[in-house]
Amino acid sequence: MKRVSVDIGGTFTDCFVVWDKQYIEAKALTTHHNLAMGFNEALGKACNVLGLQLEEILSAVDSVRYATTLGTNALIEHKGPRIGMLVTAGYEATVPLSRARGYGEGLDNLGQQDMPNAQRPNPLVEAHMIRGVRERLDFQGKRVMPLDEEDVRTQIRELVNRGAQIIVVALVNAVVNPAHEQRIEEIILEEYPSHLLGAIPVILSHQVAGRKGEYVRATSAIVDGYLHSTMYHALSALEQNLRAHRYEKPMLVIHNSGGMAQLNSTDALQTIHSGPVSGIGASEHLAMLTGLGNVVATDMGGTSYDIGIVVDGGVKHYDFNPVIDRWLVSVPMVHLVTLGAGGGSIASYDRMYKTVKCGPESAGSDPGPACYDRGGMRPTVTDADLLLGYLDPSNYAGGSIPLNPRRAKSAIEDSLCDELDCSVVEAALLIREKVDDNMANGLFTELRARGYDPKDFTMLAYGGNGPLHCCGIAQNLNIDRILAPPLSSVFSAVGAGNMHQLHIHEQSLYMVLYDSNTRALFDDYDRFNAIVADLKERGTQDLLRQGVPPTDIRHNLELDMRYGNQLVQTTAVIDKHGVDGPADVLAIISQFSADYGKRFGEGSQAPEAGIRINTIRIAAYVQHETVQFEDIKPVPERERKAPPPPAATRVCHFVGQDGPLETPVWSRSDIGPGVQIEGPAIIASEVTTFLVNPGWSFVAAKQGASWFLRAKIPATTY
Amino acid sequence: MNDMSIAGRGKLPSAEEAALVKKFLNDTTLFLGPDPEIMQNHDLMPRTADEDEAIAKVADSHIIAKIRDRIQAGCDEGYEMVEQMGAAPGAKWGDVITGVYSASGDLAIASAGGVLIFSALVHHPIKFIIKNWINDPTVGVREGDGFIHNDSRYGNVHNTDQSMILPIFHKGRLVCWVASTVHEGENGAIEPGGMPSMAESPSDEGLKMSPFKVVENYQIKRDILTFLQNSVREPKLQYEDMKVKLFACLRIKQRIEETLNTDGPEALVSTLRLTMENVRAEVKRRISEWPDMTVRTYIIQDSTLRENCVVKINCKLTKTGDRLIFDFRGSAPEFTNRATNTIVAGLKGMLAQVFLCYVWPDLPRGQAAFAPIEVITDPHSIVNCSYDAPNSQSLMSIFTGFTAGQHAVAKFLYSCPEKFTKVHAPTFNMINTFVWGGVSQHGETLGNLCADLNGMGAGATVDRDGEHALAPIFATMADIGEQELNEEEVPFLQLVSKKMTRDAIAPGKYRGGQGYTMMVATKDSEQWGFMTVCQGAKIPPLQGLFGGYACGCYPLSKVKGVDVYDVLLNTPEKFKHSIEEIMNEQPFEGASYTTHHMGMGFEISKRGELFMISQGAGAGYGDLLERDPRGVIKDIEEGLISPAVAARTYKVAFDPETLAIDEKATEEARAAERKARIARSRPYSEFVKDWSKPTPPTHLQYFGAWGDDVETLYMGSPEKTRDAEVPRPNYMPHPKDVRIAELEARLAAVGAMGGEKQ
Repeated sequence: MKRVSVDIGGTFTDCFVVWDKQYIEAKALTTHHNLAMGFNEALGKACNVLGLQLEEILSAVDSVRYATTLGTNALIEHKGPRIGMLVTAGYEATVPLSRARGYGEGLDNLGQQDMPNAQRPNPLVEAHMIRGVRERLDFQGKRVMPLDEEDVRTQIRELVNRGAQIIVVALVNAVVNPAHEQRIEEIILEEYPSHLLGAIPVILSHQVAGRKGEYVRATSAIVDGYLHSTMYHALSALEQNLRAHRYEKPMLVIHNSGGMAQLNSTDALQTIHSGPVSGIGASEHLAMLTGLGNVVATDMGGTSYDIGIVVDGGVKHYDFNPVIDRWLVSVPMVHLVTLGAGGGSIASYDRMYKTVKCGPESAGSDPGPACYDRGGMRPTVTDADLLLGYLDPSNYAGGSIPLNPRRAKSAIEDSLCDELDCSVVEAALLIREKVDDNMANGLFTELRARGYDPKDFTMLAYGGNGPLHCCGIAQNLNIDRILAPPLSSVFSAVGAGNMHQLHIHEQSLYMVLYDSNTRALFDDYDRFNAIVADLKERGTQDLLRQGVPPTDIRHNLELDMRYGNQLVQTTAVIDKHGVDGPADVLAIISQFSADYGKRFGEGSQAPEAGIRINTIRIAAYVQHETVQFEDIKPVPERERKAPPPPAATRVCHFVGQDGPLETPVWSRSDIGPGVQIEGPAIIASEVTTFLVNPGWSFVAAKQGASWFLRAKIPATTY
Repeated sequence: MNDMSIAGRGKLPSAEEAALVKKFLNDTTLFLGPDPEIMQNHDLMPRTADEDEAIAKVADSHIIAKIRDRIQAGCDEGYEMVEQMGAAPGAKWGDVITGVYSASGDLAIASAGGVLIFSALVHHPIKFIIKNWINDPTVGVREGDGFIHNDSRYGNVHNTDQSMILPIFHKGRLVCWVASTVHEGENGAIEPGGMPSMAESPSDEGLKMSPFKVVENYQIKRDILTFLQNSVREPKLQYEDMKVKLFACLRIKQRIEETLNTDGPEALVSTLRLTMENVRAEVKRRISEWPDMTVRTYIIQDSTLRENCVVKINCKLTKTGDRLIFDFRGSAPEFTNRATNTIVAGLKGMLAQVFLCYVWPDLPRGQAAFAPIEVITDPHSIVNCSYDAPNSQSLMSIFTGFTAGQHAVAKFLYSCPEKFTKVHAPTFNMINTFVWGGVSQHGETLGNLCADLNGMGAGATVDRDGEHALAPIFATMADIGEQELNEEEVPFLQLVSKKMTRDAIAPGKYRGGQGYTMMVATKDSEQWGFMTVCQGAKIPPLQGLFGGYACGCYPLSKVKGVDVYDVLLNTPEKFKHSIEEIMNEQPFEGASYTTHHMGMGFEISKRGELFMISQGAGAGYGDLLERDPRGVIKDIEEGLISPAVAARTYKVAFDPETLAIDEKATEEARAAERKARIARSRPYSEFVKDWSKPTPPTHLQYFGAWGDDVETLYMGSPEKTRDAEVPRPNYMPHPKDVRIAELEARLAAVGAMGGEKQ
């Protein structure tokens, strides 16, 4: 297999090249003005390793895949076109009011509680650029008020006169009957034909999001419209760059649904968060290939701690209403939680409880932790890590950032020691303990809310600060196995290299499987089967459009179901894709009951209140060849090797240990597969520090994978 | 009731006699009603010996913090479960709380999300259980038990809220309680939706569950469940949410048990107690930094929801040292047969909300945050009603009480050196929404309300305009929902759902956040109706701040004698999407167009009849003549204000076509208005002389103290009063009787009665 996959992040462009049996990791700085330059540089480094030219690689690979944070950045920087919007008359304020709670989406708890400071984010569509059109459909899609076409033409002209560069159309109940939205698009084309210079792009809400909810669907369409031209130009430039270097196959773009597609089957919204989602994809692939079982993927950087769940058995965790930046949208996205905890999290004195609090404020990278010596005066987690002896001041981030322990010390002294009446080291230990607790609590809530027990999971720890904090976090959760994955420096790019082409289509509906009033089971089998067939056909067409052979196309059926009038919709994965009789209906009910009980507790099911399907979803996909990991499991205990002599020792302090411990230090590059090191220990690499707490062992595995195992866990566990 | 005086006719009983009498009374209690000792006290219970012992063993603040965070995560998990699994609309929009209570019943740690008012209110039923059921051989409190409760006279905001309460034991010893509370809505009251304004006595208010056992061995008892289902309009809802609350409690219980196993019961008990004590101490410290002073304010309720009248909520806020005292004496007497009364705990719950969301949002949720603040009220008043008074519309009084508190507190915040949030004008405080009920298009009997009650406009702040339709005053991160999803379940359409109501403004240098219009019409059911339960159709229920204005008034408008769905389909051009146009232009021939106060009792609606209301605006901040003219023009562009009102109110000159501002003309207009103000002004003593009257006017039904004298409460006319300390029945005539009497008088005046006698 020959393949190139890329994760274009805010700072680095990570590149992963598979060249038959060789796996090459390469990085370059992201070049925001022209993403192709950073890509070419990173790929160039890989070329050097292989001794090949760019053209030689690009003409030979089966695909080039991109994950990118470009869209996320464009949203944060608020760079986008002026959007004009048409909504059902009477709903003009739906988007500006953002379901009331929109002021707090994407904020931490304090930001949500502080009402006098509550402020909605700057809108992507100005309120006066939203116009109502006279029309109305009911919940079944029946016409209540016909579309007033003259009114539509008037409103469009007014929007264009006010400077609209793109028009988003989001009408009530358009997902059950898109006729009015489609007619408006036709009218826009009549007024502003596509071959003329005044042509204006149109986004129809039902095409972007398939489920009910006029606000979230409108927001989805707006975000999509807002990013459309930015993504179009950036991705087109990347594609042109590939063409110029003799790449002749379709360029593939990673979707936040956990799949990928060609540009002609990708909308801008689908690319948001595709980088972190690729990381979760890599975790899933790794777990499956190496039999890790349940995995919680954690990525701890400077400002945030991303969590993703990969469960044995292939149950996917999606957010159907994820928050992107500050916007609640309605697209299925691989579930990803971000906690405000990282190396830059600021520690302060908690006057109320007479202890330390940590975050959610972050020093970020500018000014960064006090020890960066860039003007930061407040103590951070990294300052504590430095003073506890874990970090080498002269060799942090491969030596690129010299650390100043005196700054860290004075920041902690000034902010905490007097108030807490403790030493600097004691304060640093409290910071360390607090931030690990915060992350553990976040992880706990995340897993438990989905019905999982953390101790049944292997933790994957990556990101710059992941291996430094993972033991403390895992210990709080009774997790005994941590894996710092192979190829971790380009882990998201590795994930991009393993994605399959996938398209998700879904339909909102009101389908009663069991009517508790009449005590009748669902019997409109034709309706169910017709909807499933239609969604399958739409997914199939998406893949056919990309040249996928029909025989390669597979489908998964998922149903979002609920008891009575609940809010929650538990997703049931249904093996049989059709309903022919009561047995099939009961099988669906039974599957739903099992999934629901697992999540909320056995006995919590309430079928007596009725059972409904709210969404039918089809994932159409085609599987591709994937990257093969070697056996990265730790070798059996008897085969483990002693480490070479440590390169150095440092005095370190650990939570729960009285006094300092003389801690040996190794370089990761000196530790071969099979070597076991008992904690306390530090193993430093260019990109991270592996901190092995007392009571834990470090076991090196193949392909640069590293294990942290809680003492006395027999190797046969794996 | 379980309390009575034992002093008789001047002779004081001996201690022995007193003990005998007390024993006799205890042994012969007819009925364990709400206990004033519990219900009037919002402070923390005294430390118990167990708590002392636990704190002696575990008091390390860092260990306590670690355990607290873990329990907090458990509460949040429980909250998320209730929100996700709950069937009640209230659960979906966050009208929920989950929490862990000390063994004495104080709420120590509450979920980060949900309705804050509960944090000061749901401890009462637990204390009732502790006091009465633990040692009662017919009840008892055992592992696996669960108690249910909804009667607000025993705690809670109103009878729509139901709690599930579980005791947590460790090796046979009660160590704490967990509870989850949800605004369920329907409760079998005289009107659907759980908040009847027609209730004339507690007997009209539906289910009245004093705390009782409904769960044994972690199983809901089917016989009691059946009884409860049989007592409400939505048996499905009753079933589903009892189960949901139970499983949420069980999930929190798991988290607590983990702590018990890893850290021991002392660590848990100590954590709960010290958490509360630390917060209480911090509140005292913060209060002590406020300036010593007194602020007086009042808010007017303009109806009982049955009739127009003037009802005073009087508030004096005094800070001295580390004490902060809300004095609501002088507020209206309780109504004997109107539902707008509140128990005093409800008022305290809303005042706690002022502090937790609008003063110190960084404080953790729990009972301790309001514990040290004092509240004084008159007995049997609208803010401290008696057992026999209906209170199903207590929101009217707790919300106006909240606003009085918010308005007074703002004056303190302005002068306070350390601020934890911005100084701000009051938030809109009425639940301008439609309560609905009947049989849906799917044949289900439903009763609840539109989540639009969460769309209250925010007050302006010291440096910017208020946000439109931001949040209800009783919760954060609340949701006004998705109409597409609602329409699947109910047989009416919001034909206008979210469109800003033009000119419904609260002007100021910074204007209040505005409300939006709602027009509803029943479509697919012949058994469906609406009610509205708000005040403020004639007198704003807010006050502006530092020269800013209150909001406008928002009546209910109805159009009857039309099927608007026929109009929409056949003559759609006649339909207008604003109340202003429909009521002024009256486009549907033969229809009737009427306006009303916002206390519409439940009314069956025919297909296509229009009911129209608007959400309200938060109050304005500062002098409107200081408003940036560009802000005024932006308001015009966004449809918040009409050009005519903009020019007239803000004195801004602009081109009506291009909206270009004429800066010079604006300056001149504003200067002229300032001069005119000076010309209109009078010395204060002169003003008072003319303005101040010795008694309320005779043409208005006025309730409450008049002027500075808070000892005398007026009861609808200058002639009818009561001593503030001495209860007196305060009956209102039935509005239909009043109307009949009016019509009969008219008939009699024209000699058309024909000698008819009844």
